[in-house]
Amino acid sequence: MSSYYDEHDCSPLADGERPNHMLHLARLLIDGGYASDLDMEFENLFSGEKKAPPASKKVVEDLPKIPVSPADVSKNTQCPICRADFELGETMLQMPCNHHFHSSCINPWLERTNSCPVCRHELPTDDPDYEEYKRHKARKVQRDFELESLHDSMFG
Amino acid sequence: MANIAVARIKREFKEVVKSEEVAKCHIKVELVDDSFTSLRGEILGPPDTPYEGGTFILDIRIPETYPFNPPKVQFLTKIWHPNISSVTGAICLDILKDQWAAAMTLRTVLLSLQALLAAPEPDDPQDAVVARQYKETSDIFSQTARHWASNYASAPHREPVMDDKVAQLKNMGFDEHKARVALSTHNWDIEQAMENILS
Repeated sequence: MSSYYDEHDCSPLADGERPNHMLHLARLLIDGGYASDLDMEFENLFSGEKKAPPASKKVVEDLPKIPVSPADVSKNTQCPICRADFELGETMLQMPCNHHFHSSCINPWLERTNSCPVCRHELPTDDPDYEEYKRHKARKVQRDFELESLHDSMFG
Repeated sequence: MANIAVARIKREFKEVVKSEEVAKCHIKVELVDDSFTSLRGEILGPPDTPYEGGTFILDIRIPETYPFNPPKVQFLTKIWHPNISSVTGAICLDILKDQWAAAMTLRTVLLSLQALLAAPEPDDPQDAVVARQYKETSDIFSQTARHWASNYASAPHREPVMDDKVAQLKNMGFDEHKARVALSTHNWDIEQAMENILS
């Protein structure tokens, strides 16, 4: 049999730790259907300025740099930013979405915003508010999905 | 101008010229001078829209920071569309603002504008008057847009009733374009349009 903590997806309080009442209140409000108000609140905070912040410096530094291979050259693979063909001896920076760029081309872009110029795959940022906004959006998707599956299980 | 902007526009130019859309005369880009910062675009009005068969000319300015910032684009051909100003030709399109990405090109911008002609977004308008007409009286909107396209973009389908009304006001001595704007704005009610011009 699973434990109380497993079933409720939480962990016991550590010694001396006090329950986080604000967190519980927030969860109560979300579960009680106040989530849509909260969504609006987030929209108000962020919609005026949809522009995402720059990518995290650390994440950009750690992106893999790979040498241009003869295969890339024979396929005329281009850097999507400067539109020049990659040449032997150059290195390409590889994004997690598998798109390749010259470092000198992608770096100025990632200093402005956090997404791949080809597919908008988002890199983490150093902006805590934006990260919270992204988590909030992900939770909303999850909530909608759960509601949908609950609905389907009852009426589907 | 920074080298990357000019170098890229030159490469893009070749790409657009070779593209199949150009071969089918759907889009076109030309240099205005030899600086590669000022370009002239052309899109064909898409089929099954009021703009069908019209040729729409665009002014394209390449910023020094291109392709990290979008090109500045506006319509030189007068057009009746919810997301394009009927006065200045300014365009409201997300990819020309905050949704721009450095991998987009002149070709994708022109194709997006063509798509915008086929699918207006009245809830994010540039021209509030046109957007309201589009939502409230879509028949009048379509006819008005077709009338503008035939008069300003050489589109083949005319709207004879509207042409007549503009001619009537013109014969009274009113400026043709002013008459067209007033009639378009007042759902082609001649009296209201005249009042509007005279007020």
